[in-house]
Amino acid sequence: MSEAIHADKVMDLKGLPCPMPVVKVSKGIKEVAVGQILEAQTTDPGSLTDFPAWARTSGNEIVETIQENGIIRIFIRRKV
Amino acid sequence: MDQQMREDLLKLFQTKLNRAMVYYLETCTRCGVCTTACHVYQSMPQARYIAAYRAEIVRRIYKKHFKGQGKLWPSYGEAKELTEAALQELYDAAYSCTGCRRCMVYCPFGIDTQMLMSIAKLLLVGAHAEPEILTLLADTSIEKGRSLEFFKEGFLQGVKNLEQKVVEKWKLEAEGKTVIPVDVEGAELLYVALAGAHSIIPAAAVFNAAGENWTLSFFEAVNFGAFVGDPTRTKLILDRIVNEALRLKVKEVCICECGTAYRVMKQLSGTQPFKVSSVTEVHARYLREGRIRVSKKAFEGQVVTYHDPCQIARNGGVLEEPRFILQHLTDDFREMAPDPRYNYCCGGGGGLVALGEDTLDFRMKSAKVKAEQVQKTGATVLATACENCHTQLSDLNRHYGLGLNVQFLTSMVADALVVS
Repeated sequence: MSEAIHADKVMDLKGLPCPMPVVKVSKGIKEVAVGQILEAQTTDPGSLTDFPAWARTSGNEIVETIQENGIIRIFIRRKV
Repeated sequence: MDQQMREDLLKLFQTKLNRAMVYYLETCTRCGVCTTACHVYQSMPQARYIAAYRAEIVRRIYKKHFKGQGKLWPSYGEAKELTEAALQELYDAAYSCTGCRRCMVYCPFGIDTQMLMSIAKLLLVGAHAEPEILTLLADTSIEKGRSLEFFKEGFLQGVKNLEQKVVEKWKLEAEGKTVIPVDVEGAELLYVALAGAHSIIPAAAVFNAAGENWTLSFFEAVNFGAFVGDPTRTKLILDRIVNEALRLKVKEVCICECGTAYRVMKQLSGTQPFKVSSVTEVHARYLREGRIRVSKKAFEGQVVTYHDPCQIARNGGVLEEPRFILQHLTDDFREMAPDPRYNYCCGGGGGLVALGEDTLDFRMKSAKVKAEQVQKTGATVLATACENCHTQLSDLNRHYGLGLNVQFLTSMVADALVVS
């Protein structure tokens, strides 16, 4: 499924401490249009819970999460 | 601002008027002792950064709306109406104050500027004029508490991914023992970490080395409700951890290297059947009891200094423990001057670090005095025990070219572990 996802914007958040991945994505999501996909790349395992919680709070949607080689790729669709 | 909004905000103001707050609001003699106590003023000498000036912004609104004199003769005592312009002044005062309480130590009356700024922050929350990201982060934490089942799998997967790195630091003697235990009822100690791996891996290695009967919390320790000054959100975030500790029947809740989390848990969780400790206190205890051993080899030839996180040291009372730990890690520890009780804030507290790049320029300029304080020690390693401080000190290190190795104290302990 992940191969089919086209990210309209990719944010490299690898190595950033808490809560910076969420802070930066909160801003970054406003730089894509509603319906478009933002890909957040992080190494923070907390992202696996932070991003779904953030998405529920902010009204956006986690489309897919992929973990490969220690990197967590989270695909977020802007909904609002 | 319409009348209804003003009335609503004044009701919020009223909720803050306990005896201590009224004392702070009515006591300042403008002696000016606090002026140079503030690291912001020392770095950027402007009147608006004087603690008494910040307090006065809140105090004038108090005089106007809560004191007879201010209602009848507002110009006497410079009472001031709560308006949109006043809200902007409150924002500028509250979000240029890190809540370090250094000014309080110097004030002959012990006026607590952080408490006064909590009024400013609450009014901003009431007017929806607070930094939006802090409220979003607080709501994200609350959501995790409300929907734990939804997030559990992701959390457990994330924790599982860290186990190998923990074992690389400390190999468990007993086969089949869980490297990072989660949700263990009857564990002695509940460790509340931050979301990042750096907050879990070294701490887990030390707990395992000490043979601790521990369990990792589902929740992150940081309390963004406290940063934004919202008591309701602060309590909701805190309650997640309190309820987890009660459910698991632990005897001790150990808070990771996060100053705000430690102070909120220690001072706001009320009377509970568990004690609250910082991870620094726990590590010092392990060393004292001989449960862990560390070597000085890891930091041989290095000059080490320690930055006291304001919420853990000055405001939390954990002063001796980090020094006790560092005695075991280095032969060349150099204390900063002034001493820990009068230590300068890193410049990143009060939610400023969490506001990221928006506050970076201010944080770097306003903490110049901190950079100089660190530089004077001649240290090559700067240890600290707070995530906020670590982020800010790392930013200062880059900005001022200090050439330091900024370290978490827990990581230093984990890297220096040796077999008994």
